[in-house]
Amino acid sequence: MIFSTLEHILTHISFSVISIVISIHLITLLVNEIVGLYDLSKKAMIITFFCVTGLLITRWFFSGHLPFSDLYESLIFLSWGFSIFHMVPCFKKEKNLLSTIIAPSVIFTQGFATSGLLTKMHQSVILVPALQSHWLMMHVSMMILGYAALLCGSLLSVAILVITFQEVIQTLPFTKNLDSLNKSFDFVEIKYMNMNERNNVLRKTSFSSSRNYYRSQFIQQLDRWGYRIISLGFLFLTIGILSGAVWANEAWGSYWNWDPKETWAFITWTIFAIYLHTRKKKKIEGVNSSIVASIGFLIIWICYLGINLLGIGLHSYGSFTSN
Amino acid sequence: MMSLRNPMMKNYSNQCLLKTHFLKVPTFHPFFKFNTYPYASNRTQTLSFTINCNLKNKGKNLLSQKIVLSEASPPPLTQDNDDIINGGNVPVSSKNKKGLYGVVNKLTKKVLQILSNLPLAIGEMFTIAFLMGLGTFIDQGQKPEFYFQNYPEDHPVLGFFTWRWIFFLGFDHMYSAPIFLGMLALLGASLIACTYTTQLPLIKVSKRWSFMHSSEAIRKQEFSESLPRASIQDVGTILMGAGYEVFLKGPTLYAFRGLAGRLAPVGVHIALLLIMGGGTLSAAGSFRGSVTVPQGLNFVVGDVLGPTGFLSIPTDAFNTEIHVNRFSMDYYESGEVSQFRTDLSLLNMDGKEVMRKTISVNDPLRYGGITIYQTDWSISALQILKDNEGPYNLAMAPLKINGDKKLYGTFLPVGDINSPDVKGISMLARDLQSIVLYDKEGKFAGVRRPNSKLPINIDGSEIVVVDAIGSSGLDLKTDPGVPVVYAGFGALMLTTCISYLSHSQIWALQDGTTVVIGGKTNRAKLEFPDEMNLLLDKIPEIVESSSLSKKTDSMVS
Repeated sequence: MIFSTLEHILTHISFSVISIVISIHLITLLVNEIVGLYDLSKKAMIITFFCVTGLLITRWFFSGHLPFSDLYESLIFLSWGFSIFHMVPCFKKEKNLLSTIIAPSVIFTQGFATSGLLTKMHQSVILVPALQSHWLMMHVSMMILGYAALLCGSLLSVAILVITFQEVIQTLPFTKNLDSLNKSFDFVEIKYMNMNERNNVLRKTSFSSSRNYYRSQFIQQLDRWGYRIISLGFLFLTIGILSGAVWANEAWGSYWNWDPKETWAFITWTIFAIYLHTRKKKKIEGVNSSIVASIGFLIIWICYLGINLLGIGLHSYGSFTSN
Repeated sequence: MMSLRNPMMKNYSNQCLLKTHFLKVPTFHPFFKFNTYPYASNRTQTLSFTINCNLKNKGKNLLSQKIVLSEASPPPLTQDNDDIINGGNVPVSSKNKKGLYGVVNKLTKKVLQILSNLPLAIGEMFTIAFLMGLGTFIDQGQKPEFYFQNYPEDHPVLGFFTWRWIFFLGFDHMYSAPIFLGMLALLGASLIACTYTTQLPLIKVSKRWSFMHSSEAIRKQEFSESLPRASIQDVGTILMGAGYEVFLKGPTLYAFRGLAGRLAPVGVHIALLLIMGGGTLSAAGSFRGSVTVPQGLNFVVGDVLGPTGFLSIPTDAFNTEIHVNRFSMDYYESGEVSQFRTDLSLLNMDGKEVMRKTISVNDPLRYGGITIYQTDWSISALQILKDNEGPYNLAMAPLKINGDKKLYGTFLPVGDINSPDVKGISMLARDLQSIVLYDKEGKFAGVRRPNSKLPINIDGSEIVVVDAIGSSGLDLKTDPGVPVVYAGFGALMLTTCISYLSHSQIWALQDGTTVVIGGKTNRAKLEFPDEMNLLLDKIPEIVESSSLSKKTDSMVS
């Protein structure tokens, strides 16, 4: 069983590397910015990416079909999607905030996939007749890339909400014990100052106003990243749902069946369509759109895992109780 | 459109501005003077050079595909106003046309204004999402008793939700309930209203070139920069190289890129309307039916299909008779089913074969608007020889056990058939591959494959399983909405992809030797400043001999 050994090795490497990455991120986030460590984490994420890619390829090679046929494989693919979205801004510029958010996402999906809950599903299964189609690759890959992008984007929105409401909470009297939490956010903000800017500001303005300024800068940056990633995810989701509909018309006799999974994918689509529309209107942009995106975050998980948990409907291949 | 010269420049206060704390103050260096190029110094001469540029906007805009760098008079200039997105900017031009027409006209405008309201549309989308979610939590299409039991009046869910609500609102069939369909229709109306009142005018606005004549206005943009010792012609050339369409008029410049990205959302809305229309057509004009046919039997298409709506009109193809030549199953080495196949012959009214195809899951048959899908299967009969007599056909019945795997069974009586407690041989099958046989006492006797011709001796009688006859579960449908829906799908995919493009606009103004440049973009707000800085780095700095500079100075002022 070369296959299973190889798979094991790759899983463990990616898992441990990613844990190291997270601890590096925590250190740099909370304690100090160490450039060397940051470079290390970047490299580690690339290693993880290649491990997950290797994992998917070995599975593909040994099972003879694309590794999208059950929940385990789709979770691995999801974490692969996360690492892709991590890599893209990596090449552009220092975008530490994204990797701080994405790296834990990767470990959660990886951890969940490899945890005891799903051990039964690790051996690759055969494809049921309904899945034997060229649409499988298009539909599933687009859906999961879409989920990965939307999850990243909506996590950024959750971060915006946390930072914004932390400001509100600060003004309330009973919040002294929250100060330690606040400090960690200050570190995040300061990290995003460029060196000269920091000097500039320190010279020019008092600390408190600069803090507010950088907070709003930081929120704006998060917001723009979130918008960009969610638009991309929305694009993938649209293509995924539509290709799924075309496939359903080939396999099940109707392009839309109001199957629970389909319905929830459509709900996700609607919620993120609302998000994109809230951004059209300047008045309700900002916090409101972040709230919508955070709702979207929950809904993706309902759509992706919740429906599978129930194992109902036509999409029951991905359920926990398969076989 | 040409006459609509509407200087809304003042109106253009930028709401998007949040920062720009570190604005660079334009510096003036007296030693280096602005050097105009020879051609530029002669301002009366009209200069126009054109460069071809591929703009990816599907011919939606009527702008020439050439970049015009000319001193000739430009098309009218109006600042496109982001407020227009907010809707409700219906141009009111009613000159009190008396009577009913005027009233209707006013009413239509009012209705359009209400429908195109964005918060209303968002509310509709939220409601639809909520109803859809609710539809997955309440079991759909059950018998009334089910709801009586699960949503009783004495223990209401959440304190109020009982079966009365479900039946009153039609939540037992959510996706065809009046409230749900009504919401969808309302959303469709909002889509139409928004497309008509907001998006189509937006196209007109985007087509206009707009120049900015004051450096103040340019500095107020999301991105702005002052370039000392630069010429606006250089800026134009560099922007052209980067794929912008550049328009130059005197000292002012306007350039844009990715206009398609701004126009594509209109396409998204139209595609959605197309899908909704196609869906309605599907619901109103389809025929559906399913049938389980044992291998070797026939059925007529028209007998199976039933109309789904008032627009369902049968066609000639409904007289086609379908003969199931063969039903078979493919297996993996492990014994699991890999594929179901049915060999079908289509016979016309004269009994002539018009088509023959082996269908499988994911590979349906299409004929005259009818689509035949392989969706289900069962085992109809077992052919056996008993003591070399027969063959007998034993009908198989589906047995329900825990789990959803199929199991079929039949029974061959042994001995006196008329006695009250007749005993016999039981035969069970999960698929067409192997038959499990049990003797009179219910003890396992053996497994035989059909076609193996291997006899088995049970309770003194020799049994040969000759064949297992499967029956094929077929779904039939006609759906006139599919072409429309597919067209909508295609358009939606395309326009969503194009919508990801960012529409960037750049304005520049030659102010002495300094070029003030500003720009904004609607989507890629993060990347835009970097991209601009890269471009601006390429703009050459002008080093100058003093004699020429004096000349230009006088000309500029």
